[in-house]
Amino acid sequence: MKDSNGLVFSGRLSRRTLMLGAAAGAATLAMPNVLRAADKPTLVTSIRSLSNPYHAVWKTGAEAYAKWAGLEHVTLVSEGNSEKGIADIKAMLAKTNGNMVLNSDPNDTPDARPIVEACAKAGAYVVTQWNKPADLHPKDFNPNYVSHIEFDGIASGKTIAEILFKAIGGKGGIVALGGLISTTAAIERKKGLDAALAANPDIKLLDFQVANWKSTEAFDLMGNLLTRFGDDIKGIWAANDDMGSGALEALRAENLAGKVPIVGVDGIKTAVDAVRTGEFACTITSDPFWQGGMGLAIGYNAKIGKFDPAKEPPEHREFYGKAVLISHDNVEEYYKTNVESKPEINWNDLWGRVTGAIRA
Amino acid sequence: MTFLPGRIAIMLGGRRWRSLAPLAVLVVLCVLITIANPNFIELRNLVRLANSAAVPLTLAMGLTFIIVMGSIDLSVEGTLSVAAMVVVLLAANDSNGNDYGWWAVLAAIAAGTVMGLISGLVQTMLRIPSFMATLGMWFIGLGLSVYMLGGSAIRLNDASIRNLALHRFLGLPLAVWVALGAFALAAVIQYHTRLGRHILAIGGDEDVTKLSGVNVVRVRIAAFALAGFFFGIAGVLAAAQLGQSHAVIGDGRLFAAVTAVVVGGTALTGGEGGVVNTLIGVLIVTVLANGMILLGISPYIQQTVQGLMIIAAVALSLDRVRLKIVK
Repeated sequence: MKDSNGLVFSGRLSRRTLMLGAAAGAATLAMPNVLRAADKPTLVTSIRSLSNPYHAVWKTGAEAYAKWAGLEHVTLVSEGNSEKGIADIKAMLAKTNGNMVLNSDPNDTPDARPIVEACAKAGAYVVTQWNKPADLHPKDFNPNYVSHIEFDGIASGKTIAEILFKAIGGKGGIVALGGLISTTAAIERKKGLDAALAANPDIKLLDFQVANWKSTEAFDLMGNLLTRFGDDIKGIWAANDDMGSGALEALRAENLAGKVPIVGVDGIKTAVDAVRTGEFACTITSDPFWQGGMGLAIGYNAKIGKFDPAKEPPEHREFYGKAVLISHDNVEEYYKTNVESKPEINWNDLWGRVTGAIRA
Repeated sequence: MTFLPGRIAIMLGGRRWRSLAPLAVLVVLCVLITIANPNFIELRNLVRLANSAAVPLTLAMGLTFIIVMGSIDLSVEGTLSVAAMVVVLLAANDSNGNDYGWWAVLAAIAAGTVMGLISGLVQTMLRIPSFMATLGMWFIGLGLSVYMLGGSAIRLNDASIRNLALHRFLGLPLAVWVALGAFALAAVIQYHTRLGRHILAIGGDEDVTKLSGVNVVRVRIAAFALAGFFFGIAGVLAAAQLGQSHAVIGDGRLFAAVTAVVVGGTALTGGEGGVVNTLIGVLIVTVLANGMILLGISPYIQQTVQGLMIIAAVALSLDRVRLKIVK
């Protein structure tokens, strides 16, 4: 809509602009024929943006897989706009005549349905990650809707909590920084923390506060928590690394950095560095590099008939992926293989990181 | 012209008891929190309070001039993130090879000032209301930071700049001294310079000020540049405190700064209040946030309490009887 308006207005301004627009349009029309000529399917990645490190790594993983498999790869970016995300996918389906494999992180939960329906109609193969409505199932769109992948927030929250408890010797007080109250990830990770606390009665949760995923808020909050509990705080549980790093700076201002261990989720570089220096006890990541590559690999293998999605067990259709834990034990290796160079992943091991079917 | 101590004396003398209301709110808050949790008046906590007030205070100093003038500056978060981005990218960092040390700080403050200057020029030359002009600058600044930082967080490795947050002088982090310096500078500008008087006059009645021969356009541009200067300093402090910069480093700062200015008793309509009010306003907001944690108020209702306190503080400090119209 916006683009066509722009074209009309520019046409009013000068004939040359109009001609240029027409030429560009003609060029776009000619493109599908070029793509159609190829027999091999096109790999398509649909993500939210390239301005956050998470999706930037996702794209590198996708490109690594495409290079390994020797296939054409296209990245579509929705910029947080659901309509644009869906329209771009439909345009790609038309361009490739359905001969494509899509790995999508739908911008919003309801988006998954139109995306899957459009792919099934065009005969393309699709894998979705993170977001889909609860009543949308891969088994209802055989064979096109191959799989849906998520990561278990409860397990992540619990795992990092257990490592924190171990780091402080199994007893003492901790404080917890939660994410934006209404988000699923915040709720699930807190549930994981609660479960770990229930299993460790010697650990006392001094206070649970909300820093809305932000390091700035965690920084101020941590200062106040230090006043209230002082030396009783033996460890800090943060629902993401950004808040954990804000808390770390508040500790540093009081000369406590490294003395009070922190744990977080996401595996951002600041946190990985902090694990190396011992200021973080651990962080955990869904490994966007794997998500970007393996989502395409699963779709592509279904497309070329390596396996029949309809015959796969439920835990291969809707599953929780295995999160990668980065702690003192493996941080140097992780740094070498993931930060300093690109990770090596066995792209043939399609189901190696399946930890179980998604809870209904 | 009355000097600063004299001004405070007049406030304390009760010439207008309402101007004392914010101070009373602050004292009552402190007393109540201390009764509930004596840790509050521990020296360590007072230092922490001062530390968390440093960035909001510096920001609110700049914003006060704009609000006193009867305008609004929404570019707080954008300008702050540009300044934080500039300082991190020019000083030693983990993304590029730059290492310009304190020149980076000067560049960041200059960048903030230029952002303010542009807001002022857009507002006066293009005759766009400050609300829209600065809203535009907010997004321009934010977009610039997202682009330059590539969406990620970049670490600040320059030890001497980090020392703003980590080094202490007389028991207070250097950031607090910088914020106090910003307050002193703002107070001098407001009470002892022509610019300060003209800003207040424009807020009181712009037409009369113009008729008295004041170059209103020049004063407006200068005021926005001045605000940008303070936002720039705040950006440097924020980056030093967090040891990193990302595009959303300013998130939520605009609302906190406006709240502090208004709770301190400066009228959004302009012409009333000033930087001393804002100092008290910032302390009220900071003490309140600190107090709610000390009292163990559930995070689920903290925002509600904050909202109630804002309404209460404004209700006490504004002379609503004199307002002909409330809009």
